[in-house]
Amino acid sequence: MKKNKLLIFLFMLPCVLTLLVMYVYPVCRTVLMSLFRVESLTAGTSEWTFYGLSNYTTIISNNTFQMAMKNMLLIWVAGGVITLALAMVMAVVLTSGIRGAKFFRAAIYLPNIISAVALATMWVQYIFNYDYGLLNELLELFGLEGFKWLGSDSKFWAMTASFIFGSVGYYMLIYISGIEGIPKELYEASMLDGAGKITQFRTITMPLLKRIIKTSITFWSINATTFFLWSKMFSPIQTEESTVVPVIYLYDIVFGGKGIIQRDAGAGAAVGVVLTIVIVAIYGVMNLLVKDTDMEY
Amino acid sequence: MKKILSAALVALLVLGVFSGCSVNSTVGGKTLTFWSMWSDGEPQAEVIKEAAAAYKEKTGIQVNIEFKGRDVNTLLSAALESGEKIDIIEDDYQRIAQIYGQYTADLTEMAKAANYKGYDCLNDQVIAWAGHLNSIVEQPQVGGVFYNKDAFAKAGITAEPKTWAEFLNACTKLKDAGYAPLALDAAYADFTFYHQLVRHLGEKKIEQLAMNGGWGRETGAVAAAQEIIDFVKAGNLADGAPDEYPSSQNKVGFGSAAMVVCANYVTAEVNNNCGVQLNWGLFNYPTVPGSDNTSAYAGANSLAITAYSELKQEAFDFIMLLTTGEFDQKMADKAAQIPADPANKAPAHLSGTVETLLAADAPMTWCAGINANSDLINSFKSEFVKLYEGKYESGEAFCAALDALYK
Repeated sequence: MKKNKLLIFLFMLPCVLTLLVMYVYPVCRTVLMSLFRVESLTAGTSEWTFYGLSNYTTIISNNTFQMAMKNMLLIWVAGGVITLALAMVMAVVLTSGIRGAKFFRAAIYLPNIISAVALATMWVQYIFNYDYGLLNELLELFGLEGFKWLGSDSKFWAMTASFIFGSVGYYMLIYISGIEGIPKELYEASMLDGAGKITQFRTITMPLLKRIIKTSITFWSINATTFFLWSKMFSPIQTEESTVVPVIYLYDIVFGGKGIIQRDAGAGAAVGVVLTIVIVAIYGVMNLLVKDTDMEY
Repeated sequence: MKKILSAALVALLVLGVFSGCSVNSTVGGKTLTFWSMWSDGEPQAEVIKEAAAAYKEKTGIQVNIEFKGRDVNTLLSAALESGEKIDIIEDDYQRIAQIYGQYTADLTEMAKAANYKGYDCLNDQVIAWAGHLNSIVEQPQVGGVFYNKDAFAKAGITAEPKTWAEFLNACTKLKDAGYAPLALDAAYADFTFYHQLVRHLGEKKIEQLAMNGGWGRETGAVAAAQEIIDFVKAGNLADGAPDEYPSSQNKVGFGSAAMVVCANYVTAEVNNNCGVQLNWGLFNYPTVPGSDNTSAYAGANSLAITAYSELKQEAFDFIMLLTTGEFDQKMADKAAQIPADPANKAPAHLSGTVETLLAADAPMTWCAGINANSDLINSFKSEFVKLYEGKYESGEAFCAALDALYK
């Protein structure tokens, strides 16, 4: 038994060490750094000056951070509702036995296997293009004037719509796997009792997918909080207010930008901590709202 | 059998680890490590590799080049702070001077000994920032109004506009000839409007306003915004401008627009994007009434030597090989850029840029005045984009919107 314990310890050691060095240490350092005035991300601790909670008050009162949080919240709420609802509708339709379900499933999932950079470029340079973009060509077909999809008022929604397009397939697959796990007998029994498709969805599918929905919301929350690439693609040279999100703000203040030499790794760390708290809070709320023991089958 | 196999695998693993450790060492010779800001396969990278091969043949010194790409700035601070073995770094010259300054070597004496000239305006700027020459220009940049000479000829414009009135007159002629006068992508809205502000206020005043507000009280700021509002209302912007980069600037290449305010790399970008060899010209951003400000943007990507490098002179010699003479000319031709060595010749589409840089005395930095307030940079930029979108009725309304950002 002693030998066994030693063996277990030795087998676990690389994993534990990796976890400590690659995860626990950076997390602790980031939390600590958020309480200090630090210019460079890798500056030695001797160069840190204690700053208390000032990094937090600085970012919270900062215009760009406020705008970034507002944008993130909109992506999370509006984008989340649309994406998850669309994914659910598609999943239900594709598992209802319609013809060509396999084709549609593959087609809807397709954006997920294309590089997000290529996908964003397609939206920015082709679909939303003012002169020859798909959307304006369609408007022209109906005799309407072209619209500036990427103008300062509409850019955020254009970006969110593109992101939704790229995300729906992923959540649809999650829901499909959940729906396919529900015993068919339940549907058959309800059908014998005279339940229609909508009643089945409301009384069987939705309640039994609760845990899957909870997981999807958690995944979506993580995606919305760590939103970066789409924002970079929609504001390629310098960040713009309409597309700024907290991770972009973090990146800009930690590394500077074109012609910008100010850096503030302490404030960047504070942004990181705030985002972590947001994700943990959402996860906590979801756990409170949806208990794992709610429904079993 | 299993034990023998295990022992062989462990031996292979150990060998692999040790051979991995020895990748960067050159037995019996010196090795320079160079972190480049280009990506492998880019024309700049190809020329650097050629120069490294030539340098090795001449001196026997190997140059290990690591192509880190444009985001090299996200890696350099950490690498320099930890004393990673790097001899030469490559990045924006302002960052090298102001962020990596303490980790870079003073090149003044070596430059003097090598009789290095370069461009005074850029070298002076480096000295002003870092206190000494700590980088050598590899890719100089100059900004202003880049235009299609053929469009100007077709519109009957015989002289490059120097004043705002002449500029507006040229715009009218261009419209009459069927061209949209100015292409503008939202990405460069801040750079373009910054010129107008600088003409009225100068960079120092802009910095003060950016930090403390009070735009509405500054007649120059109101006038600059009003001029742009009138400019936009007169239909001088290309359709859809401010557009998404690079859609609008491409219109110069496609022949529907005539001018674009940017740095010189716009010429190569447009030529590549549109598959044309445009007959490019460059003139300084026009002056405005009541001001004698004529400054133009100048910047550079440069090379520096780490302060802790043990091969400083060797690194400097390699930098000289790359930034002067034959290899600099190759770089200018292949990467379609301004030569770092003023004795070399700029590619045809950049004709006049060497002379512009040599004549420049006080260069403008990239939106430095507004960039001074890092908290509001993004808000400023959004307001500038709205200004070009025609969202403001008057200069006063625009300045009031800027002042509202401070509340």
